[in-house]
Order: sequence, then structure tokens, then C-alpha cells
Amino acid sequence: MLSMHDGWGNNSHSDGESDGRRLWAPDAVGNETAAPIAENEPMPRLLLIEDDKETADEIAAELGDRGFDVSWAADGIEGLAKARSGGADVMVIDRLLPGMDGLTIIETLRGEDIRTPVLVLSALGAVDERVRGLRSGGDDYLTKPFAAVELVARIEALLRRPSESPDTVLRVGPLELDLIKRTAKRGERKIELLPREFRLLEYMMRRKDQMLTRAMLLEEVWNYKFVPQTNLVDVHMGRLRHKVDEPNELPMITNVRGVGFILRAPA
Amino acid sequence: MCAASGSSSVRLPDFARTTTFRWTLIVAGGFVLCALVLFGLVYWQTANDLTSRIDDLLTGELRIIVALSPEQRLAWIDDRLRDDPRRFRTTGLFGPDHHRIAGNMESLPSGLTPDVPSDAEIVRVDSVGREMEKVRLVVHPLPSGDIIAIGRNIDELTDLTGIVVRALALGLLPAIVLAIAVGMVLSLRARRRLLEVNSRIQRIVAGDLRERLPTRKGNDPFDQLAVSVNRMLGEIEALIQQIAGVGNDIAHDLRTPLTRVRARLERGRERATTLEELRAVVDQSIAGLDQSLAVVTALLRIAEIEHNRRLDGFSQVQLAPLLREVGDLYEPIAEDKRVTLQVEVADEATVHGDRDLLFEAVANLVDNAVKFTPEGGRVTLALLRRDGEGVVQVKDTGPGIPETEREAVVRRFYRSDKSRNTEGLGLGLSLVAAIVKLHGFRFTIAAGPGCTTEIAFPPH
Repeated sequence: MLSMHDGWGNNSHSDGESDGRRLWAPDAVGNETAAPIAENEPMPRLLLIEDDKETADEIAAELGDRGFDVSWAADGIEGLAKARSGGADVMVIDRLLPGMDGLTIIETLRGEDIRTPVLVLSALGAVDERVRGLRSGGDDYLTKPFAAVELVARIEALLRRPSESPDTVLRVGPLELDLIKRTAKRGERKIELLPREFRLLEYMMRRKDQMLTRAMLLEEVWNYKFVPQTNLVDVHMGRLRHKVDEPNELPMITNVRGVGFILRAPA
Repeated sequence: MCAASGSSSVRLPDFARTTTFRWTLIVAGGFVLCALVLFGLVYWQTANDLTSRIDDLLTGELRIIVALSPEQRLAWIDDRLRDDPRRFRTTGLFGPDHHRIAGNMESLPSGLTPDVPSDAEIVRVDSVGREMEKVRLVVHPLPSGDIIAIGRNIDELTDLTGIVVRALALGLLPAIVLAIAVGMVLSLRARRRLLEVNSRIQRIVAGDLRERLPTRKGNDPFDQLAVSVNRMLGEIEALIQQIAGVGNDIAHDLRTPLTRVRARLERGRERATTLEELRAVVDQSIAGLDQSLAVVTALLRIAEIEHNRRLDGFSQVQLAPLLREVGDLYEPIAEDKRVTLQVEVADEATVHGDRDLLFEAVANLVDNAVKFTPEGGRVTLALLRRDGEGVVQVKDTGPGIPETEREAVVRRFYRSDKSRNTEGLGLGLSLVAAIVKLHGFRFTIAAGPGCTTEIAFPPH
């Protein structure tokens, strides 16, 4: 699904982030990046239920590098037992498993009032499958094959649920968004936003400091369940950045090359 | 004779076992039955008529003779017998003790009811000799106690039976022979045809998809059936070839980026001297792999739509806001390319459909139009009404699609040669075609300067 965006991994829209990927990677220099896990937080525990050992090894290695404590179950029954015993902060469950179907596990857990966030992983990419996955209690759905960064970004998003604060004014650093008056300000500077830009900015402000991949933005902001062939997200984001970050200001929206976008208060 | 040959001799010949032949036999049987009933009826009617005429005659004569005096009676009897060259008539006058007084009857048959004509067997005695014959006879006791009997030969009736039976045989025998012959011919013909059809079907089953059922110029139901089956076979053959073609296309569209990736990796492995250079090669390779995966994803998406039967997920979709949303989504992209994107939605139209899929279709058309329109061009997205139909029209000032390629671009994987260098997977229009087909709408690529694509839908 990720792979659909033209120019992923090439330099068509690097926009000056000389080496975004490395910035975000765990071997990044300094902590100016939105590393998935802040240093003062404990290592999040992740339960991975995936029957294919090679895939599981890859995922576990990648997530381990990113600071997750990964526990692995190779089939549905073992997975359900581990999930029930608790302790996981987030779960990644493959859709098709021997022993017990991934969706059955989720339904069982939800039935027992275990609310741990779940990312459903599946080779079944059809829209209907996605809907079924989410309806059975999954919190997000990712189709194989996927880029590692996509998986990490989504797990991170699950761990940090967006702020559903009842406040009618959202604030990130100097940025202020009034949901009632539909106005935006950066400090004292008023920002004129089109409705679509307003929607995008609201989404990002509710998920500040989080890596938002193009696929996530398409699904959530544009309700786009398919694969556009043009670099839609980048163009829209470009417009928004232009308005939010003026040349003389410290940038708040960061384009992490090959991954996605992060909104955060200027350092 | 051994048992085996004995049993085979019991078997009917092939043609006799066909349904056609059996039906012929049944029809022929019915025909024979009808003929028998008909002839019986004719015979019965004729015989009846003849008998009643004889009876009338005899009763009339009886009335005359009864009215005569005894002398006149004898003279009348003589006259009656003399005036009978063909010896039809029999007459007898018998005494009360049944002895013969006059006439040509040897004796009076017993068991006859007076005045009622009935069949009887008598012995005729005259100058020629004595002979037995069947007659119609009526007797009447005279006041004197004598008994008068008047009769008439009924050999004609026997002759009539003969005539009828002969006529029946003459008429029926050829008819039966003809029926069996026709049955044989028809069943043999049908059988030969079935055998031919069957052997061709066997060949088709064995995999020869170019085989067709035999047809004749005639227009009988069998020919119509064969024509229909042939048309079906044609469709199947075309579909299978299409699938094979798609398979080749997939292989080609996957092989091209994979070959590039392979070459890149190989070169990178040989030439890269720094980690940076190696990383660049890997990045390019990942992009290439993503492209291959994109082909697979898009293909699965088309298959999903084509096999989609979730019509119950359909609802009323308002097209005007949908078009504005698509316009909103693509406006910045068009602007970046310095292409004017104009949305012209005069009035509202509602269709029954899947909103997401329709959005996807329209977005794809706009995506394509924006992509292929050169800088300074214009793309118009419009909702029109034409000839009672609603039309979503996407018009651009790009190079357009040559007429010869219009059909091809809706097929999977086709990409016009001119566009080979522009990014995109060549799947957009086939995706649109699949969505439009699912909804029962009509998708056309119209002529004109630039490219005009239209989705036409019936009035709601």
C-alpha cells in the first residue's frame, strides 16, 4: 500500500531534509527527532502474533531496534494465551493464523474486555477485509507488504492515542487552532487556511510529535481507501507547510524523507 | 451360438434405440389405430345403411304379399323369383307344419321373430341346384296359418368387408413402412449429428478451445442451439486469451522494474565505495521494488472491484459534492503543474452506488487528466445532463488518446506508448472501467482535441 506513492525512497520530494531517514532512525544524531520512544519512558511491551517465522524475525528485529520489548507467538492459541495473561502495551496480530484466526483472537479479547490496542497485519488487502478487521475490534489495519517505518509509525500512533480533549482550541507551541471560529494563528500571525488545510492541520495537531505516514494521512484525513498515483499528500502538505512555517520562522512541520511528516513545537 | 453373441443378437440396432425412432414408432402406432377406427366406422355405417335399405325393401314386399289373395300370392312368388336374374331373392311359403308350399327355400329357419328382418342361413333350391346362403329374412304368419318368408342375399355385405379390409391394408401397409423408414432416417440423422456434436465437445473438453459445434444453414432449434453454444465458446475463448494476455502483461510489468532493481544492486555491489553510495543504490532498489508491488496491489484492487458483488452496500450518492471534493483534492496538484482545474457543477444528480468507488473512479480520471496535460493546459471536471442521461465529464487539453487505442487503454496494464515515460501504472483507466461496469454505468473515451472521458449514468 505504501509502495504506491510515487517517489518513495527517491529524491523527488526531499525538500531540503538532507537525511531525514537517518534523523528518524535509532542511530540518529541527538534527540531532536521524534524518535518513537522518548528516553524517559519505559520500553513498551509488544506482543507479536505471526505464524511466518521469517516475517516475525524481521518485525521483531526492527521493533527491537526501535526500543520495543517484543514477545512472539507463532500461532493463534499460544497468541491468545499470551494476550490474556496481559502485560502487552500493544499487539500486532496477523490476520490468518494456524490454530485460531487473527480476527477471532481480537473478538475474544474484546469480549473479555481486554482493550489493548491491536494492529491487524494481513496479506488480504481488499477494502472489505480491512473493514472486517476493524469491525472485529482491531484499531488499525496494515496490508503486507509494508515498509518497516510504516509499521513503527502505526504502532506508535496506537500507543499514543490522539488527544480527544474537549478544548475547542488546540495548541502546539506557538500554533493555535480555534475549532469553533475556524481560525489559525502562529504567535500573533494569523494563518489563512482553506477548509482542507484546516482539517489536515487539526489532525496533525491532535497527533503532535508523531510520525504520520502518507498512507495514514490518506486514510484518516482524506478517507482515501485507495491508491492515488500522484504525490497527493506531499502537494497538500507542501501548501500547509508553506503557510505554517514562514521562511524566517523555525520549522514546525518536518518532512522525514521516505517516511512521512511530523508536527512539533519548534525546539 | 455362444451366450455372448446370443445376447448381442437381442440388442436393437443403434438407430432403433434413439428417442427419435421410438417417437416415430409411437406416432405410427397411433396413426394405425386411428386408421383402424376410421375404417371400422366407415364399414359399420355402410353395412348399417345397406341392411336398413334391404330391410325396408323386404318389409315393403311383405306388405304387398300379405294384401294378396292366396292365388295371387303364388303367382307373385313365381314372378318374384323369375324376375331375378342375379338370384338375389329368396321366397318361401310354408304350411303351418313348416312344410314348403312354394318358393325356393328348402325349409323355414327356426327362431325368427315375425315381421322383424334378421340375418339367417337358408338352403336355396332352384333350377341351378341346392346351395347354402346367407340372407336377410323376414317372416310373417298369414291368417290361414301359413307362413310367408321373404329374403334377400347379403353377400354384398361380406364383399364390403373384404373391400374395406383390402383398402385398409393397401392404405396402411405403405404408411407403416413409410413411418418406420422416416423414423429410421430421422433417428440416424439425429444420431449422426449428436455423435458429431459429442465428439467435438469431447475435443473441447480435452482442451481444444478453437473447436466449434457444426451448424447448417437451416434455422431449426438445433442449429440455433449450436449457434448459441458456439457464441458462448467464443466468449470463453476470448476470456481465456485475455487472461493469458493479462498474465503476460503482469509478467512484463513486473519484470521490467525487477530487472532494473537487479541491475542496480549488481552495479552498486561492484561500484559503490562508500556507505553513502551503497545507501543510494539500496534506496533506488527499494523504490523499484515498491513499483513492482504497486502493480500487484493495483491488480488485486481491480480484481476486487470486478468480483465485487456487494451491491447491498450501495446507497444514494450525491455527485455534486463528490465532484467538488475531487476537485478540492486535485486543485493543488494541478496548480503545481500550472494546469487550470475547473469544476463545473450546474445542478445536482443522485445515483445509486458505492461512494468510495465512485470517488475513486472520478479521482482516477482527474488524476490522469492532470498528469497528461502539459503546463498551461486546462482540465475541466463537469456534471452534465445530456439526452436524459447524467454525465460526469473530464476534459483536458493533453495529447488525447488515438481512436485505435481507446479500447485498449481500458484493458489492464495498457499504457499508451507516448505516456511510457510519464509515471503511473497504466491501470487507472481499467480501474475506472471496472468500477463503472460494477455500477451498470457507461464509460466512454470521446474524441476531440485533448482527451474527454465520460461516465454516463441513467436518470435516477
